[in-house]
Amino acid sequence: MGDPLLNLLLFAFVVLVTGAVFWPTHGLLARLRRHRHLAGRILLEDALKHAYHQEKRGEPCTLATLGGALEIASQRAVALVTRMQEARFLRVDDGRILLTQEGTRYAVDVIRAHRLWERYLADETGVDALEWHARAEEQEHALTREQADELAARLGHPRYDPHGDPIPTAEGAMPAEEAERLAALGADDRAVVTHIEDEPHAVYAQLLEIGIYLGMEIRVLERTDEHLTCEADGKPFRIPPLAAGNVTIRRLEGAPTKDGTERLLALEPGEWAEVTRISPVCRGLERRRLMDLGLVPGTRIRFERRGLMGGLFAYRVRGAVIALREEQVQVIGIRRVPRAAEGAA
Amino acid sequence: MTIRNDCPPAACVGCQHHAANLVKLGVDMGRFDYVVALAGNPNTGKSTVFNAITGLRQHTGNWPGKTVARAEGGFALDDRRYKLVDLPGTYALLSTTVDEEIARNFILFARPDVTVVVVDATRLERNLNLVLQVLGITERAVICLNLVDEAKRHGISIDHRRLARDLGVPVVATVARTREGIDELLQTIAGVASGEIACKPHRLAHRAKGAERVVSGIAREIEGAFPGLSNARWVALRLLDGDNRIYEALRSGELLELTGGPGAAAPEAPPASAAAPASVAAILSHARAMRWEIGPGFHDSLAEDLYTEAARLADRATIVDGKARRFDLDRAIDNVVTSRWLGFPVMLGILTVVLWLTIAGANVPSGLIATLLVDKLHPLLHAAGDWMHFPSWLSGFLFDGVYLATAWVISVMLPPMAIFFPLFTLLEDFGYLARVSFNLDGLFKRAGAHGKQALTMSMGFGCNAAGVVATRIIDSPRERLIAILTNNFALCNGRWPTQILIATIFLGGLVPAHLAGLVSASAVVGVAVLGVAMTFVVSWFLSRTVLKGQPSAFSLELPPYRPPRVLRTLYTSLIDRTLIVLWRAVVFAVPAGAAIWLAGNVHVAGATVAEHLIHAFNPFGLVLGLNGVILLAYVVAIPANEIVIPTLLMLTVMSAGLKGGAGAGVMFELDSPADVKAVLVAGGWTTLTAVNLMLFSLLHNPCSTTIYTIWKETRSRKWTVVATLLPLAIGFAVCFVVAQVWRLA
Repeated sequence: MGDPLLNLLLFAFVVLVTGAVFWPTHGLLARLRRHRHLAGRILLEDALKHAYHQEKRGEPCTLATLGGALEIASQRAVALVTRMQEARFLRVDDGRILLTQEGTRYAVDVIRAHRLWERYLADETGVDALEWHARAEEQEHALTREQADELAARLGHPRYDPHGDPIPTAEGAMPAEEAERLAALGADDRAVVTHIEDEPHAVYAQLLEIGIYLGMEIRVLERTDEHLTCEADGKPFRIPPLAAGNVTIRRLEGAPTKDGTERLLALEPGEWAEVTRISPVCRGLERRRLMDLGLVPGTRIRFERRGLMGGLFAYRVRGAVIALREEQVQVIGIRRVPRAAEGAA
Repeated sequence: MTIRNDCPPAACVGCQHHAANLVKLGVDMGRFDYVVALAGNPNTGKSTVFNAITGLRQHTGNWPGKTVARAEGGFALDDRRYKLVDLPGTYALLSTTVDEEIARNFILFARPDVTVVVVDATRLERNLNLVLQVLGITERAVICLNLVDEAKRHGISIDHRRLARDLGVPVVATVARTREGIDELLQTIAGVASGEIACKPHRLAHRAKGAERVVSGIAREIEGAFPGLSNARWVALRLLDGDNRIYEALRSGELLELTGGPGAAAPEAPPASAAAPASVAAILSHARAMRWEIGPGFHDSLAEDLYTEAARLADRATIVDGKARRFDLDRAIDNVVTSRWLGFPVMLGILTVVLWLTIAGANVPSGLIATLLVDKLHPLLHAAGDWMHFPSWLSGFLFDGVYLATAWVISVMLPPMAIFFPLFTLLEDFGYLARVSFNLDGLFKRAGAHGKQALTMSMGFGCNAAGVVATRIIDSPRERLIAILTNNFALCNGRWPTQILIATIFLGGLVPAHLAGLVSASAVVGVAVLGVAMTFVVSWFLSRTVLKGQPSAFSLELPPYRPPRVLRTLYTSLIDRTLIVLWRAVVFAVPAGAAIWLAGNVHVAGATVAEHLIHAFNPFGLVLGLNGVILLAYVVAIPANEIVIPTLLMLTVMSAGLKGGAGAGVMFELDSPADVKAVLVAGGWTTLTAVNLMLFSLLHNPCSTTIYTIWKETRSRKWTVVATLLPLAIGFAVCFVVAQVWRLA
């Protein structure tokens, strides 16, 4: 049986080694797999995407921009472009790399797979918003066109990805993207967020940290060189111009509709309120479920009780007592109302 | 267009159901004339209505290809036979969950002759939302306005004639519990089925004008392509909402088939196969293009419109007696069972009482069954074998091996399950279990799991296989998998007796007699609590590694407290849970019994197979602080944990060369704990062996019934293997560490 102490040490060692090798995200195996991933097809597809985006932005795509975007040496970039030329995905004209029709189509398919996957992650999994992009970057290369179609069908043919980018249709059509940025707004302007750029990662994380979400109604209070002071959902916040440049908006005209919308979370047990909105940050199935439960604008609800350990809240909604987790309660906007006749509720 | 009417015309006046699709959905019409679907919100007494109509003529199963339970039954009225299919209880039919999809597809594709929607009279507005959605799909509906007595007690009365006028379909007030109004309900169903009662269902228009124009435009196109389709407007709505199942139904011609019915299409209509496909493609692409027009809030406004209309109709039909405002019992009970100070004590108290009733209450019937099957029947079987001149190996194999193992499993397993499951179902019916989820959600959320896992875990205390089946209530796949993988950490009925026996004889014996009971009881509770802790730790670990993700949103209805229906509960939980689990266990016990007997009796190189195995397992077992006998016993006991103790005794006696026992390969149990201890100590057991056995009994692979159930529920070999090996690996690791630390000390 041996010395127990030695046994224990041996055991600890085995556990550590197994963990280091098999740990899902940072283990040796996972790292190895990720490394191998950067092979030919992925590079090619990323190059197509880069060329496509440059074209959309109206900027030229050259060997230099390509090498920079894909983080590869110029020699590899040359080899890559040659390979793609042979495959008739692009042609080179006066040092500018231009996509052919097939190339454009291929690029749109990759973008479609990427955005569909983000949509899927957002709607049907609990994956954190910060990870959507990275995961979709991997998955876009793995999905075949048929699989993408199947996924689209399963998700109910979504039109936008969770960042607000349009998802190309199966035929490769994509509506024009809206262009105005939050950074362009001045004091007292009002706008609704239509898109949040998910790259670079650091800026995206900052935007999430601030709490920017799609469909958020923003009013600019003050504008200085250092930051934009805005107000949304009754709360003021600050956003640096660099980050504001990554938020696409649509201007809103006229006076604000519902002033002073309160959050359901602010309610105390026993109080009544009327639902005014469900924040657009709540998407897909989650949103549908809330509505199916009867939480639609105009519904009167009473806060019944808190869960024993916090994080869970029970409301009387159209006659039934329904418990919701904090994340769901947060997305519901309300207007307080006086205590209603309970028999009718 | 072909007229699809597969029922004999004489027997089926006015029937409209789609026979081929019914078969696809797993309904065998057999001798039935009509098919009736039963829909309704959860907690509206739908199952009470179902039972009131069908009595005991019902059977349960699953929907084809889905792990969703369904019940079917029938009734006869005026020489006509009606088949009643119970649809899953849902709040809506917008197919956001599997349940909703099943209910929706049944009403749409099987085209039941009548759809009965059970409505809770105390919560009319909420329930009318579903009614309006059902009426969008089918014209033939009957509203069963249930629980009118409860509504009266709340001072609510409902003008059901007015409601019927507003909805355009018959409304029957019932109290299903006392069968009040059920006969009238049946008559009304018959009337609608035969077409004597004509329905003109209320279908609401869209409030937003632009959207309404789009919807009615597409609806007109669909009507043009599918003359005779009664729910074109609803189909248009679903297309605009991006419902893929409906896209497919249009594209594949499934919808076209539905338009054929008695009196639907005139024979001179152009052959649909030639005209339809082109127009179908046009409709689909038009609908898809329109989706960009109607804006992103379309689904929201749909849901809003439905509830607004439901509220309006409910308001028109409800008369509230203002002075009937009375003491709210539900709120009072909730104030106690979910309160900060009393919530947990009440919960623990109830769990303790249920487990105590199960364990203590099972002793007597277990003894009786064992006396009957083992003491009485077993010798009789041997005598019969002798009489028929069976060779001794055959009698041994059949009666000592196969029969005895099965008898053990039945006598040890049946009574506790027959007590635990009904108690559990009673608590569920009463409404308490939802409060347990409510109280424990905070912990599960922190572990990245679903709040309803509290229910499946509690169910696991009864039987892990039943607990795994119960995970169906968790609708997020990630969290459901976590609940399945960790259910085994709930100490099931089959393991409690082992824990209690070992704790009593080994740990109770370490302290003065007056403390023995307390010490052994707390040791057993300690192991169970460790199991709960493991549930949280492993859930947490899984949701941070292989099953990564954030806890998904979940909603939990806290249903009104209702007195449970005791007899009905006893009957159904006996049939649904106890007998099914028992049957599976018996199926697995038979080969295990054969294997045990063979291992004890087949000699190879001078020793039995069992002895060889024990010898081989021994070094590994000793390092873990166990021994070869225990490991072999747990291999043998994969079919059912209940047979661990008899197998241990048999193997110990055999391997240690002791006198006593009932012969090689024959399981037995001893009457007094002291005798058991004597045998085990002679087999080389120490306190460490006992402690580690208790730990290993908690932390090892699930029994074969549970493994099989996990496979059936997940349909994944990978996750079944993980569910099997993960607890085993944890068990080995824990026992190993405990053994080393013990020896170190």
